[in-house]
Amino acid sequence: MDCSQIRDAFVSGARLPDEQRDAHLANCPQCQALFERDAELGRSLAVQASVALPVAELSFARFERELAHETGLRAWLRSRPSRLRFTLVLLPVLLAVVAGGLFRQRADFAEYPALRIVLLLSVYFVAIALAFAKEFSELPRPAPLQDYLGLLCFALAVPTLAGFAPATEASRHAYPGGALGCFGYGAALTLPIALSLWAFDRDDQPSLRTVCLSAAALGLSANLLLELHCANGNPTHVLLGHASLGLAWLLIWATVRGLSRA
Amino acid sequence: MAAYIAGDKAAFRELFQRYTPLLQRAMARDLRSPEEANDLVQQTFLHLHRSRLDFQPGRKLKPWIFTIALNLKREYFRRSKRRHETSLDDDRVAEPFEGPRGQERSDASRETARALLSLPPEQREVIELHWFGGLSFPEVAEAVGSTVAAVKVRAHRGYVALRARLGEVAPDPDSVHAGKPSVAESK
Repeated sequence: MDCSQIRDAFVSGARLPDEQRDAHLANCPQCQALFERDAELGRSLAVQASVALPVAELSFARFERELAHETGLRAWLRSRPSRLRFTLVLLPVLLAVVAGGLFRQRADFAEYPALRIVLLLSVYFVAIALAFAKEFSELPRPAPLQDYLGLLCFALAVPTLAGFAPATEASRHAYPGGALGCFGYGAALTLPIALSLWAFDRDDQPSLRTVCLSAAALGLSANLLLELHCANGNPTHVLLGHASLGLAWLLIWATVRGLSRA
Repeated sequence: MAAYIAGDKAAFRELFQRYTPLLQRAMARDLRSPEEANDLVQQTFLHLHRSRLDFQPGRKLKPWIFTIALNLKREYFRRSKRRHETSLDDDRVAEPFEGPRGQERSDASRETARALLSLPPEQREVIELHWFGGLSFPEVAEAVGSTVAAVKVRAHRGYVALRARLGEVAPDPDSVHAGKPSVAESK
């Protein structure tokens, strides 16, 4: 037995064979000191584990009454396996992209390099899938708020930066008008996705994580669809009609969270 | 859990009865009101019910339940915009069962509770899950979504801080064990 085993046993809570432990401690003053201190700490924690805490009775009957409300479509949807929930939410985005690409393709696509278009759409789609994957992970892991805020900031920043990205002359000098139309188009197309996010959410009240991830996914989805549809590259138009959708969804989710708290 | 997923409703009652005391204690350490603690325990089981189809057979249920409970507790504090309701000056921090040396044990226990509360949350969390929740370090790692090595480092730092703080309390030589008592031994 060596010093590292003594330390590991303390950290892991494992009991050491008495003979081997005593033999090592007899020849190692450092471990002896460490072991004595740890024993004292262990005793303190063991006492703490037996502390009486104020606990009220919680009967299974009370829980069963709560469980009885778990009926209907939403209860069925939110209890589906997470991989299925992820697929069912991502599918409408994919379908909307395909449909948008086929039927409402923007007029100036041919003037841009194909690589640029593919790259831009890929960035959007990967970020959307990432947001959904985080939201519908099998068991949401505790993660720092920065993780969610990072994705949200990305979702708000990319469409904003797109407003200042190099564009064709005609596109850049277009009038900023029509922003409201684009805003409405993006909002209408992402509304079903928002409803499905709500339906699949297992929390009764949206968590901060859900607010951040849902707003990010919806903002990006709306902008992805508008990228396929709108040829107006005027920065004012893009900022007001496209990029603002992420912010709008963030405000809506935050309001829903605030209302549910009240 | 496998029996419940297969449709055996009585199995869920058994799970409820087995894990409720552990979860109640885990919640009660941070919440002032036992009713609020019970609400969170109830929500934990409700989430367990909703996520039952995500549970893979052969997986350990205890870390799974504790992950749900920890997430709900974090969200509760985030929602109510406060971290922990128990303050360092709160007289309720620790009320140990009376033993043969009741007052001494009581003082030491209060001191330990205060020392625990003074730890950074990530250190306190792993120590409480291991010592009070009865989770092994691999289970703690699974519950908090980290690696075993990282969890051990967090625990070790917590122990060092606890030792430093508890060093001011006079030791009780008669009750010092020859080795660190295991969680099972302490119950």
